[in-house]
Amino acid sequence: MTTPGSSETIRFDVLVIGSGPAGQKAAVQSVKAGRRVAMVEQEPGVGGMCVHRGTIPSKTLRESAWQLSRLRRSSAMLDFTFKPGLEVASLMARLDEVVGAHVAYMGRQMARNGIHVFHGRAHFLSNRLIEVQSVDGSVRRLGGDTIFIATGSRPRTPAEIPVDHENILDSDSILSMLYLPASLTVLGGGVIACEYASIFAHLGVQVTMIDRADRPLKFMDAELVGKLVDDFERTGGRFLGERTVGSVEWDGASKVITRLATGEVIESDKMLVALGRAAAVEGLDLPAAGLRANARGLLEVDAHCRTVVPHIYAIGDVIGPPSLAATAMEQGRRAACHSLGLAPGSAAEMIPIGIYTIPEMASVGLSEDDAAKRFRGTPVMVGRGRFDEIARGQISGVQDGLLKLVADPSGTKLLGVHIVGEGATELIHLGQMALLAGTGVDAFIENIFNFPTLAEAYRVAALDILEKRR
Amino acid sequence: MSPGIESSPAPADPLRVAVAERLADGDLRLPLLPRVASQVVALVGSPQTDANRLAELIHRDPALAGHVLRIANSPAYMPRMPIVSLQQAVSRLGFNVVAEIAFAASVQSGVFKVPGYESVLLQLWRHALTSGAFAKEVARARRLNVEGAFLCGLLHAVGKPALLQLVTDVARARGLPLEPALLFALLDELHPLVGLRIGEQWGLPKPVLAAIEHYGSYGQAGAFRQDAMVTFLADRLATHILDAAVFGSDQAFRETPVIADLNLYPDDVANLLSRKDRVLDQVSAMVA
Repeated sequence: MTTPGSSETIRFDVLVIGSGPAGQKAAVQSVKAGRRVAMVEQEPGVGGMCVHRGTIPSKTLRESAWQLSRLRRSSAMLDFTFKPGLEVASLMARLDEVVGAHVAYMGRQMARNGIHVFHGRAHFLSNRLIEVQSVDGSVRRLGGDTIFIATGSRPRTPAEIPVDHENILDSDSILSMLYLPASLTVLGGGVIACEYASIFAHLGVQVTMIDRADRPLKFMDAELVGKLVDDFERTGGRFLGERTVGSVEWDGASKVITRLATGEVIESDKMLVALGRAAAVEGLDLPAAGLRANARGLLEVDAHCRTVVPHIYAIGDVIGPPSLAATAMEQGRRAACHSLGLAPGSAAEMIPIGIYTIPEMASVGLSEDDAAKRFRGTPVMVGRGRFDEIARGQISGVQDGLLKLVADPSGTKLLGVHIVGEGATELIHLGQMALLAGTGVDAFIENIFNFPTLAEAYRVAALDILEKRR
Repeated sequence: MSPGIESSPAPADPLRVAVAERLADGDLRLPLLPRVASQVVALVGSPQTDANRLAELIHRDPALAGHVLRIANSPAYMPRMPIVSLQQAVSRLGFNVVAEIAFAASVQSGVFKVPGYESVLLQLWRHALTSGAFAKEVARARRLNVEGAFLCGLLHAVGKPALLQLVTDVARARGLPLEPALLFALLDELHPLVGLRIGEQWGLPKPVLAAIEHYGSYGQAGAFRQDAMVTFLADRLATHILDAAVFGSDQAFRETPVIADLNLYPDDVANLLSRKDRVLDQVSAMVA
């Protein structure tokens, strides 16, 4: 039901639909250039799914899983066991505070910058006009010369999988479980699937991960992924690759039954369906703006994130992978720069990837395979620094990490850095800065790092390359 | 909140003072969680959830077993053929549904008993069941905890029957008149306190305790604010469905602030209201 609000159109220079990482950066960049900006968000607080259902909640659970996992490793000293019937809420006790603080901070940032935030659902009336419906049903019209669509994504659920948010869950509802299940089947092999699979495995849940591909995270370095899968299987998880799901059903009693094309049958208490994400564009009435989603449900854009309508940009998850918050932010900033006629700079080539599995994974620059392709068969040099070879790894009990430096065939120019192990998502930034500064491999040998630190792995990997150069 | 009752008696009312004294002294008989209900809760929360164990558990109480079978065969659950065994009921309706039926039925028999007030208790019981059913629907709409929502809705006012017993005892012992308006006002005002004590004694999960204590003041529910909001909206939906006079119209109901606080848009609310018949069928099956 809708009730009329103001029939007048409120004019802005820029409209941003969605307040996640992409929308925020586009809005801030635009307002700093003197534009009058309105942002529309359908949830009560700014931040988007990243804050309320995605990145921040899952990382809060991850932190608990990681701490508990470390305690369990010390069980000889502590006699540590999980309490039966552990409540999920008790593992996420700080979530409310974390989300509240983050939302408040972002709200202040929007206010400080003079961004007008409207709470409601937006849909296009034309390519320069949107209508916003509030939760109370009232509507208002906003007009803008430039529009950014940053509405994010929602879990993609194939029609044949009956997600009920009670037994068969998606990434929006997985954290709503009351108790930790004894067993969990995870469908998918992407970032979300791997993060939750590893987190729940470390919480003592019997996790079975099923994917079509032969290994999860195909876009990441195979050696790093191998380490992740090893850790997952050591904690009791099972990865079933190259499998196609025939059917999924709740048996009506106590189990989710998954039948695979191979004839295998997997039973579990709960299931997480993590088969990718679809752009959250339903309800936007894209045709009214002269837009339409492609066959995969995504908005297509050019190199500047511009849609087929030149003054409408699409940024973040609505345009598809990699669907990472950091990437979305950069897309927002660059798209806004383009709309303003400003040069965005070249830093975007060096956006790092961070995956919050247990152990963490991170990557920046060229992978070993990509580097080999660039040099057309001339072998590139790869140096490895294993966490079990450095003092901090031993002290902190994170011996199963690996840092790889990828260098050109001469072993001098740094091309990429890839890390698996606790602290990977922080450590990667050192490599990112080295790549941006063009310091070369030897900088890690010639300069002094704190001792003992995990960053020493850079030095060990660089020394490994030095050894190969001889 | 008691359906349809809006009253604010004078704070110095002697019955109110006497009841408050008894509560302050902790002089309150808390009902025990019926054995079957506590075992059902333990079974649902156990990693070794097992349909046969649930059927076995219900079988130990023949009256409960009969009750579950009757509900399983009711039109609300539309069995394609008669359900003649508990195992069959579990297999057809699902573990969780049968567990909910068994839990609710055993709570009703163990808690909702105050001689002379059968019609009030029936009213409270219908409200509890309706709230439980709607809580699941609200939770599903907001991608929140569906499995815990039923318990929150069902038990959010579990303090009322115990308080009813206390108030009637105090009135009788002191020879004080017990006007319905005062009775319901006291129930509305004090039941979260009593409900919380019962919930703690029963060892209910934290979100359920928070919902009992704070559903009417969900801003104070801390980390369980969402659970408390879901419970409050379920309570309001139950009131609206069971007693149309309270809100007067769907439009008036839609102005309940918790709807906006849960960020439910008009079409979301319309979807919830469209579940009315389904929910009432389920409640009728449980109450009949």
